[in-house]
Amino acid sequence: MSLLGNGKRMVTVTINKNQYLAEEGEIFLLTANRLGIDIPHLCYEKALEPYGACRLCMVDVVTCGKTDMTPACTIRVQNGLEILTDTPQIIKHRNLLFELYLAEAPKSEVIKEMAAKYGVTKTRFLKKIVHDDPLQGKCILCGLCVRVCEEIMGASAISFINRGPYTVINTPFYEHNPDCEGCAACAKVCPTNAIVFEDIGTNRVMQSWSDTTVPLMICPECGKPFAPQRLMEKVLTKPESGLIEEIKDLCPECRRKYFTLREIRKIPTNGGQA
Amino acid sequence: MDEKILDEIIAHYPSQSGKTLGILREIQIREKHIPMDTLKLLSGKIDVPLSRLYALVTFYSFFSLKPVGEHLITVCMGTPCHVKGAEKILESLEEHLGISEDTQDGKYLQTTPDNKFTVEIARCFGACSMAPVLRVDGELHGYVTPEMIPKILEKYGWKR
Repeated sequence: MSLLGNGKRMVTVTINKNQYLAEEGEIFLLTANRLGIDIPHLCYEKALEPYGACRLCMVDVVTCGKTDMTPACTIRVQNGLEILTDTPQIIKHRNLLFELYLAEAPKSEVIKEMAAKYGVTKTRFLKKIVHDDPLQGKCILCGLCVRVCEEIMGASAISFINRGPYTVINTPFYEHNPDCEGCAACAKVCPTNAIVFEDIGTNRVMQSWSDTTVPLMICPECGKPFAPQRLMEKVLTKPESGLIEEIKDLCPECRRKYFTLREIRKIPTNGGQA
Repeated sequence: MDEKILDEIIAHYPSQSGKTLGILREIQIREKHIPMDTLKLLSGKIDVPLSRLYALVTFYSFFSLKPVGEHLITVCMGTPCHVKGAEKILESLEEHLGISEDTQDGKYLQTTPDNKFTVEIARCFGACSMAPVLRVDGELHGYVTPEMIPKILEKYGWKR
């Protein structure tokens, strides 16, 4: 393994008074995680630009003896970077945030577990209880779902609605949104697993998004529904999808079967003897 | 809203900067609210996702998705008016008009069942010297007391 092979420079960073080697330009949160230094975080998602929304990954950056609280996901590694991750001030800040999150998303197991790990089990704040919350009382409003829907999928099916304590995430007018492709990327990136959807029959129902219903593609080989139709159409119109014509409409299982069968057919029946 | 009028409004904004909010502002002023169909139509016309427009409309207190009644009463809730008892004024209005404070979206906008009056709250009007103040259809009323409310309402056709 070469340290300089990929054109990246290795630099020295100081974390909690210990020196480590790290790749220049790397997101500090990832560096710390890789080195086994624990920094809690909720809103970091590698597919998107760091955003610093959850404020949980706050660390102290030391410059000329002075410290400055900054989210670790927005710090890029550079030579001589000095970070403190567990000062009393950071711990106090973190614990307060956990209390706030316990009030914001009282039903979230992820939050409860994470907070408990840092010794926070109770909150002094009024718990947000919403009846029939489509996000099950688990949403922390980090905005990852909104961003992934807009920036990665280009669908912009959901958005923040209202503001302040009334803020929620849903489809416009809380009704079925034809912009939704049913990709469920929102559910995938949600740090608290707040978003629910279910494949019912030949449809995918995004229960959290006002029951937006998206038809699924049916595999012509086995007849099973497997992926949202609109999403598949989008993928298949991409140039160089890398798929051969015979299998492009098949479900992943039938695609594998096709290749396996083709391999088997290649093996001579007499066991390879001439 | 008529599609032609919407097109005219859109034509006022040839450049991208300030376009979306500018158009929404004109719709709000014209219609006194943002109709759902107009918002959907606008989304297609200016190629901005409906979710983005909906986020803007629900964020700013200037916009309203609900239609307003014949007369719009705006109660100032700025700090001086608040200190001088704006809360009591609002309570009196609610009592006389038979509306409640329930809000699901954090915006105070209540219309009477007969569609005659709509009550909204605002921050400072800049008329703090006359606090507490309220405005009915652009007409300012100062030094208001809860006892004065029926009299003010009667001016606009309210009956006991």
